[in-house]
Amino acid sequence: MSTVQAQPAPLAEEAPVSLWRDAWYRLKRNRLAIFGLCVIVLLAFVALFGPYLTPYDFLSQDLEARNQAPSLAHLFGTDDLGRDVFSRVVYGTRTAFLVAVVVTAIAIVIGTVLGAVAGFFGNPFDRVIMWLTDVTMSVPNLLLVVVINASLKTPIAQWMEARYLETLNPFYRETVWIDFLLVFGSMALISWPPYARLVRAQVLSIRSRPYITAAQALGLSNRIILTRYVIPNALGPLIVAVSAGLGTAMVLESAFSFLGVGVNPPTPSWGNMISDGLRVWQHYPHLLAAPAAVLGLASVAFSFLGDGLNDALNPRGAK
Amino acid sequence: MMKTENRLLDVKDLTIEIDTRSGPATIVDSIDLHVGKGETLGVVGESGCGKSLTMLSLMRLLPNKIRVAKGEAHFDDRDLQKMSNRELRKVRGGDIGFVFQDPMTSLNPVMRIGDQLAEPLIYHRGMSRKQARERAIELLRLVGIPGPEERIQAYPHELSGGMRQRVMIAIGLACEPKLLIADEPTTALDVTIQAQIIDLVKGLREKLGMSVVWITHDLALIAGLVDRVVVLYAGTVVEDAPVDELYANPRHPYTRGLLASIPKLSDAPASRLNSIGGTPPEPGRRPQGCPFAPRCPLAMDICRTHVPKLEPISAAGSHRAACFAVEKAREAA
Amino acid sequence: MGAQPLLKIENLVKHFHVRLGAFGERAATVHALDDVSLDILEGETLSLVGESGCGKSTTGFTILNLHRATSGKVLYKGEDLTALDEKRMRPFRRDLQIVFQDPYSTLNPRMTVGEAVGEPILFHKLATKAELDGKVAALLTDVGLPPRFASRYPHELSGGQRQRVVIARALACQPKFIVCDEAISALDVSIQAQIINLLLDLQEKYGLTYLFIAHDLAVVRHISTRVGVMYLGRLAELASRDALFETPLHPYTKALLSAVPETDPEHERSRKRQILQGDVPSPLAPPSGCRFHTRCPIAMEVCRRVVPKWKDARPGHLVACHAVNGE
Repeated sequence: MSTVQAQPAPLAEEAPVSLWRDAWYRLKRNRLAIFGLCVIVLLAFVALFGPYLTPYDFLSQDLEARNQAPSLAHLFGTDDLGRDVFSRVVYGTRTAFLVAVVVTAIAIVIGTVLGAVAGFFGNPFDRVIMWLTDVTMSVPNLLLVVVINASLKTPIAQWMEARYLETLNPFYRETVWIDFLLVFGSMALISWPPYARLVRAQVLSIRSRPYITAAQALGLSNRIILTRYVIPNALGPLIVAVSAGLGTAMVLESAFSFLGVGVNPPTPSWGNMISDGLRVWQHYPHLLAAPAAVLGLASVAFSFLGDGLNDALNPRGAK
Repeated sequence: MMKTENRLLDVKDLTIEIDTRSGPATIVDSIDLHVGKGETLGVVGESGCGKSLTMLSLMRLLPNKIRVAKGEAHFDDRDLQKMSNRELRKVRGGDIGFVFQDPMTSLNPVMRIGDQLAEPLIYHRGMSRKQARERAIELLRLVGIPGPEERIQAYPHELSGGMRQRVMIAIGLACEPKLLIADEPTTALDVTIQAQIIDLVKGLREKLGMSVVWITHDLALIAGLVDRVVVLYAGTVVEDAPVDELYANPRHPYTRGLLASIPKLSDAPASRLNSIGGTPPEPGRRPQGCPFAPRCPLAMDICRTHVPKLEPISAAGSHRAACFAVEKAREAA
Repeated sequence: MGAQPLLKIENLVKHFHVRLGAFGERAATVHALDDVSLDILEGETLSLVGESGCGKSTTGFTILNLHRATSGKVLYKGEDLTALDEKRMRPFRRDLQIVFQDPYSTLNPRMTVGEAVGEPILFHKLATKAELDGKVAALLTDVGLPPRFASRYPHELSGGQRQRVVIARALACQPKFIVCDEAISALDVSIQAQIINLLLDLQEKYGLTYLFIAHDLAVVRHISTRVGVMYLGRLAELASRDALFETPLHPYTKALLSAVPETDPEHERSRKRQILQGDVPSPLAPPSGCRFHTRCPIAMEVCRRVVPKWKDARPGHLVACHAVNGE
């Protein structure tokens, strides 16, 4: 018997499917994840363009119309200073997204660099970086943020005021961004360790995969192996972590603002709005309900999307 | 044809489906097979041909998204598919023993092997701990593990691959099953260990008078072990014959190709091997007509449109093949 | 045989240092490869066989400097490869390629077939960007794949097709020598024969030299020029294909040959196998003297104490056994 020639494939040719596209296909079939994605896209749109679309400025007070119940003129009603709650929630969305995106971005950069160095180069880097990670994780988050706020905020504000009086440069008059700077800094400082651990574990596991040995056997350089073989394969779990991390950062920002160590009034944040609403919720429940509902919605949306991404990017067994 | 009364296991028209994106797809298509009392059956096929799923389906142990669409499986004249879970649990590990391919992942790593052996004895046979322990030692001795009194205290990772597979076989045999189903039990083992295991099963089968189903991809391995061979391709039985008949006179083009592509030590060495061109279809994406037609040297028009039935081709009816070109295949021989 | 040695391997040793115990409190040494010497001749297929843990794959990896040798030399073009760092090794990597056992895990799942095959071509500057597509297509055709597969991803291919891609990628460097490390073991029987025939075709076409690492003796017999048998990190026997299969000298080779099953029921039922008792000892603590003495049917007192010399029993037939007399 001789070799039989391979016959043309009897089934119709299909377009090549990369793992990314495959993951997107799986994600599309997950209703909850798509719901989460839609909510997030909507909120992101609101965060970007909302302030230009709202009927009122978030600061403009109308003392004639204080504590009004929701109506067509004021969708979520007004607060005790007659400010439009809808506009403030919209602006709070902007705050929440700004903080979440910036904090997560900083945390990822720190975490990825440290994790990749620890995983790829091994000891002694590994030992030092992992020690640093453990130390950071063992510090109580809230305490650290309160300490940073208490110790740095007043001195910086005072220094700014002094500079302003000295130079009359308008740059020093605006102190709102100190709030943000401190919030970003302190939150990023406590958020990077999970990313570092994740990236290190990924790099360690991928480094021992046969296709890395295969690439070495081809004589490829370390740089190409790292950028073309290690990193693309480490991205899946990182994307899942980022999705979950964004949600967590948003909730964390609200929590800090609620406690008065985050974004301070008059800049609206869901957290400080909830804090304000809590005091009068028995009389004006809408002041609490509106920001709390949006925060809950955002948190659930990120959680759904994270789960969906996890199933889509790291499928187990099922194909 | 073998009389139905002598059949210990009789599978009829078994069809297994998997849920895919585009709806259910058939991965095992109307399989008929049977095992006589005291018979050893070899089930041969390549990866993805459905040989393991068929056996798992008998015990209703199919993974998620995979289910039996139709068919019957009678064991000792009882339909396994219609049994209650309670009854079925008595059969699993009791009347039917299983030996899996990978002894490392099929043994519980945090349990002493003596306890893993005693478990089915206590559960199925209602033995006391002490009795079960003694029986466990006896079983380890039976499968040729030296120093069984000490070894029952060992954890799986303390044993070598061959020893672990012997433990798996001992667990499969614990309740003196009527049928032992072994799913590629030697694939992970070296040739010298493989030879040890085959000899062990041969001896045990005679001693215990049980039936054996030996699932494998290796036609050479089972030649001296089994009484009859069923060849699977892409979820269908393509040939079923007594062992001597199958190796001496294979009739299905797939069986012939498979046998020809296995080099023999006794042949004169040739530089090129015979091979079957093409690739087996992916499970659940079988072509229309005979699943082997795209790779078949004898394929005719009818093969691409109609599915051949498994039909007797010998006078005694013990040799069956599913092929339209079976007469041509005889001429080609 | 008039062929020149392409690679000379002299007293190659590879030990792995591992830590054992729940807390890594015990240091131990895996004797993966001990004192292996052999020449690989130009244009030949030298097969290494043996059971798992015998060091046959380690030999391949150490020759290619993918494992750093503990001691010993690998001479290629007058250069000792074991002494080269990764950068100075790079030009030699082009000549010396490897095809791995498991085609499912040796391809980067995020790269298309075309990218995988094209990568070494671009990296070693064997073609310009403009010529690349044509070059990749030619390579895919060489290994029996349609060129349109270049845009596919590994997970869309069957095991046999992936192994063809891996072979194409190895060929992309225009190598002289390929280590086939269990290159067919993970494939189905009907596909194994296809891949072996492909390897033989390519050897003829490009004058390749193979180090074929396998455990299937029947396959090895069909394709090899010479065969080496390894046991627990040492070479037991090395001879031309016919000498090894017709007149094996080492008791381990004999046992290995008698364990190979054949597709002949009559013969299988009646044959008396010489079944080796026991398991391969742990390479963490290999037996003293001849490493095979714990399972050897003809072990003598001297085998327990003295490591047998690696000697010519007949011209070109090397064996390490006290029971076999030298020339």
